Amino acid sequence: MRRVFSSPLLWTAVVFVILPFVAGANPLHYSGGFIDIGTTMLCFALFASGFNLLFGHVGELSFGHAMFFAIAAYTTALYTKGFDLNLFGFPYHHDPGGNMLLALAWSLGLTLLWGWLLARIIVPRSSGIYYSMITLAFAQVIFFITYKFGDFTGGEDGLQGIARPQLPGLPADWLQSSLHFYIFAAIVTFLTLALLYWIIESPFGSVLHAIRENKERARFLGYDVNKYRVNAFVLSTLFPAVGGWLWAYYQTSINPDAGSVAYSGDVVMMSLLGGIYSFFGPVLGAIIYWEMQNGVSQVTKFWEAWIGIVFVVFVLVGPRGIMGLLDDLRRYGISQFVRRSVSKDARMETDLAEELPPVVH
Amino acid sequence: MLLASINAAQILDQLVNGVTLGMLYILVALGLNIILGLMGVINFSHGAFFMIGAYLTYTLVPITGFWPAIVLAAVIVGLFGCLFEFALVRPLYRRLPEYTLLMTYGMALVFAQVVRRIWGDDAVRVDMPAALQNPITIGGYDLPFYKDVFLVIVTAVILALVWLLINKTNIGVIIRAGTRDAEMVKILGINMPAMFTLVFGIGSLLAGLAGALAAPIYAVQPNLASQWIVLTFVIVIVGGIGSFWGAIVGGLLIGILSSMMELIYPPAVELTGFLIMGLILLIRPRGLFGVEGLFE
Repeated sequence: MRRVFSSPLLWTAVVFVILPFVAGANPLHYSGGFIDIGTTMLCFALFASGFNLLFGHVGELSFGHAMFFAIAAYTTALYTKGFDLNLFGFPYHHDPGGNMLLALAWSLGLTLLWGWLLARIIVPRSSGIYYSMITLAFAQVIFFITYKFGDFTGGEDGLQGIARPQLPGLPADWLQSSLHFYIFAAIVTFLTLALLYWIIESPFGSVLHAIRENKERARFLGYDVNKYRVNAFVLSTLFPAVGGWLWAYYQTSINPDAGSVAYSGDVVMMSLLGGIYSFFGPVLGAIIYWEMQNGVSQVTKFWEAWIGIVFVVFVLVGPRGIMGLLDDLRRYGISQFVRRSVSKDARMETDLAEELPPVVH
Repeated sequence: MLLASINAAQILDQLVNGVTLGMLYILVALGLNIILGLMGVINFSHGAFFMIGAYLTYTLVPITGFWPAIVLAAVIVGLFGCLFEFALVRPLYRRLPEYTLLMTYGMALVFAQVVRRIWGDDAVRVDMPAALQNPITIGGYDLPFYKDVFLVIVTAVILALVWLLINKTNIGVIIRAGTRDAEMVKILGINMPAMFTLVFGIGSLLAGLAGALAAPIYAVQPNLASQWIVLTFVIVIVGGIGSFWGAIVGGLLIGILSSMMELIYPPAVELTGFLIMGLILLIRPRGLFGVEGLFE
């Protein structure tokens, strides 16, 4: 029973239930669209959690995960709207499709293919910051394809008028309502996050943690480190893909921003703000990021600067994010926590391995 | 597509554009590479420094005139780089280099907004002096003097200076030794943090100078930073991380080939650099001039 209550999945479910009532209700300004911003948070919770499977659990910083989000969103959009393609003189016509599961299958399939190809190229050849630069550069390839090949992808304007799907046994326009779409998105997000939780808690997840802590030792224990890194990369692309699939239906339009450096950077910031060593961290980060965006953007049009400053402060003094701070608070108590945050010596006393913190939930 | 319809004049035109672009790429990438080589960290704000250099030139030209404005802009950006290193990069020395990348990414967002706040959202133009506007005629072709003669000379001089600094001075000896093993150099009694600040300043100065030189050629606008930083990464990967010659060959290669792509298949111009990068990764992951195992 205790295990159930300490499970981050339970907390995720609780948060998803209360989110539509509190999201967007920022104290700086009243704004409508409570539920709409909740759905945005869900899509990005999936996106950031997938990214964090690499950053938090394997210790590898990918700066290009927006490409998988964009591939899935564009695939869903094109599948739903239909398209005409002329590849080297071979015309191909696709009628508009309404089957959301088929759209998901195509999205996941294409993401998987591209993710696997990239993983095979990037992972064995790089690590550290080199890895970050290469993933960023490859993400730009997808960005420029969506941006430049306008006949197919709609170019700068993107694609509009993506029809939301029909759920079996429900009226055709059921998903048109913001609240209904939120419920649908929350269930999908929860189930997908449960899958991610299962992956992280599995023996496979433990090997990833071992690789994060010490690649050499993991290798000496007999694990094929590069194989695990490739598999983790491929798995981590699937969660942004589900997020992108939801995002296309939710927005009913899509533009090249979805694959931009800014989106890749946003999930990095979300994960770090929430806490990269925690399962719930990226979910919390996505919620906080959009809450800040929603609040600050009504006060100043330079809101990105303020989010940037908050992020830099976290990188400098609290790299384990909000979940890390909460964990410290629970572990040391308030007085010791305050002492630790002001005195370097107190930190040395209580924390021998700041660089390698344990996984917290 | 229609390769036969491309004539020599068009090829020359694109070559000229490519060389111009290449010169600026070289300066920016070299700045990033010097920092990367010695300190092992990536400065995501490097593109922002480039942009700030361009905007400072725009502000300074009416006050000081063209020549002092370029020098001043570069020096200010260089000093700003020193300050940036001292205040924000230094606290992250003990951490993984990823955290410096993250911090500089956050600061790049801040700089982009600060630039929008000061200079506005719209593109601004910098006029070059009349003396530099006239084309120069070589072998029957008119070459734009500023873009092709002046920029090449300036870049060559700067490269020579950086080469001399690295290879012929005491500071250069420390930089080269520090690139191999910063810990060991520190034990020998060298003030490495001061060295890091200096090198970071020089790298930033090169970015600022490139921005100042680019200001009369390209529209100066707030998204300049994000456009350039990714290409700089690509050049560094192609040329080899931390390599002097890598930055030069990578910059020229990508500058010229992406200009040539304009003739072959215009929608793919921006993709050229990435295609080259993909190819390099497959056949020579450390880059053309990279040192094996340094950053793998």
